[in-house]
Amino acid sequence: MKIVVCAKLAPDASDIEVRSDGSISLDRAEWRIGSFDLQAIEAAVRLRDAHGGSVTALSAGPQRINHSKLRKDLLSRGPDELVLVAEDVLNGADTAVTAQVLAAAVRKIGAVDLVLTGEGSADLYFQQVGLQLGELLEVPAFNAVSKIEVKDSGVRIERSLEEETEVLELPLPAVLAVTTDIHTPRLPNMKEILLAAKKPVYEWSLADLELENAPEPRVEAVSLRAPRPVERKRILIEGSPEEAAQSLAGYLVKEGVV
Amino acid sequence: MTDDKDVWVFSEKPALQAELIAGAHQLSANTGGQVAAVVLGARSQAEQAFDLGAQRVLWLGELPSGRLVEDIVPTLVAAVQDKCPFGVIIGATVRGRAVAGRLAARLGVAALADVLEFQWDGSALLARHMVFGGGAVRIDRPLASPVIATIGQGIFETGSLQAQPKGEIEPLPWVEPPWQAAVIERRSRAVSSVNLSAAKRVVCPGRGVARQEDLGLIEELAQALSAEMACTRPLAEGLGWLPRERYIGISGAMIKPDLYLGVGVSGQAQHTIGMSESRVVVAINKDRGAPLMTQSDYAVEGDLYQVVPALIRALKARKAK
Repeated sequence: MKIVVCAKLAPDASDIEVRSDGSISLDRAEWRIGSFDLQAIEAAVRLRDAHGGSVTALSAGPQRINHSKLRKDLLSRGPDELVLVAEDVLNGADTAVTAQVLAAAVRKIGAVDLVLTGEGSADLYFQQVGLQLGELLEVPAFNAVSKIEVKDSGVRIERSLEEETEVLELPLPAVLAVTTDIHTPRLPNMKEILLAAKKPVYEWSLADLELENAPEPRVEAVSLRAPRPVERKRILIEGSPEEAAQSLAGYLVKEGVV
Repeated sequence: MTDDKDVWVFSEKPALQAELIAGAHQLSANTGGQVAAVVLGARSQAEQAFDLGAQRVLWLGELPSGRLVEDIVPTLVAAVQDKCPFGVIIGATVRGRAVAGRLAARLGVAALADVLEFQWDGSALLARHMVFGGGAVRIDRPLASPVIATIGQGIFETGSLQAQPKGEIEPLPWVEPPWQAAVIERRSRAVSSVNLSAAKRVVCPGRGVARQEDLGLIEELAQALSAEMACTRPLAEGLGWLPRERYIGISGAMIKPDLYLGVGVSGQAQHTIGMSESRVVVAINKDRGAPLMTQSDYAVEGDLYQVVPALIRALKARKAK
């Protein structure tokens, strides 16, 4: 089974700096593998270990994603090889552009049975790219996948919907976006970290993907700012537990919420 | 016929569709078009859409058994290409996100995900949503047409809409999907009866709660307040103490109850994004410097294991009066 797992390498949200005018700087943020993509990598590696085949990790973004630490981090989690499409024109790419680049890369990898993605990217969390990718590849695409079993020539999957679990069987190839609880991602051990340095990394340009120009953006990010804090009363209640509880209960009555 | 000013709305959840109809009126007021409900379901449900404020109703019919809601994508693609609406707003459920993503890809646009508000800058539409796990607000301008957006529950209020005169129901001809998934089974998730976004009062334990068995105490507090139990993400996903649908935050439930009471919740941005619009926010925490304590209306500094039992007694005593 030939599996491709897509991962977004993006600035870590916890490193965001808010400037005094409310604008946001990501200049000093460390770039990491998306926290929701780690589960997709784990799912891909487990399927390969159970059924044979290979796992290709795939990521598209600006040139800075082509960084030795990120490459090693991805490969030490179990994929056999890595494909990077790293061009600065892809910085801040919208979901449509990302999906088109990934679709072209999956086609170039060729004979892919299954593409896995995380639930959403760690930075934007729009939860759209996997579904767009499936549609562009003209194969079944499903989100919220919490279990994958290989069955005959296809897969049996479970989807976690709001009120129910849905079990589906689909033909392959397919694109599946997995939930965060599908598996607990492994921590790479020393052997895997050493092994990672020897695994192949392919750097493909947009031209290699026969995308002469970068795909046209469909959405423009007009502004990025810190959320306006909601004004709160900020009444600090201290004292003994009994006093504090009485005082709080009084406030709750006054507010009309009990 | 083209109606490139009309705003279409779709959700497989009738309650969400009603909210989207209300929200779409804010858009159509600017585009100068009408609000069209795309209805999947019985004819009576299609007719009801007029009562909910839809000016046009596009009817997909009832979903044949063994089919998925997602199977409407090719039909929607054909209808949008034929009628050219200004935009399609889709309820941000799991299925809605799947429909939106696939529809957007086929139409060559990008879906605006989890929009919290639409704004107009002259004739240009702007959409506001949260990014970076709630750490930032981004405003996006769609550059391509039609506008596809997903919107969650509780963003738009239904209340003020007037019923529209019943018009003609316009059927959308079914387009067979190129591939099909076989539905093997559907089982309801026993734990999922909770609807946090509808709760008026919510009690939310965080990592300050030391052991799973201590949740009984928090539940008792929730009962005393007639509140729903929620939790932070680590309690649901790391520790598995409470089901996933009870956690509040960027990837979980978004709520705006009258009362949010956080017990031992530190208040990271990825959590507070999900509750920052609550009317009254209360925090109970040992650490007065915890982010949630500084973003509360009432911050009780103290050991939750002492404060919560005292609060339960105080609430019960008041009730007894």
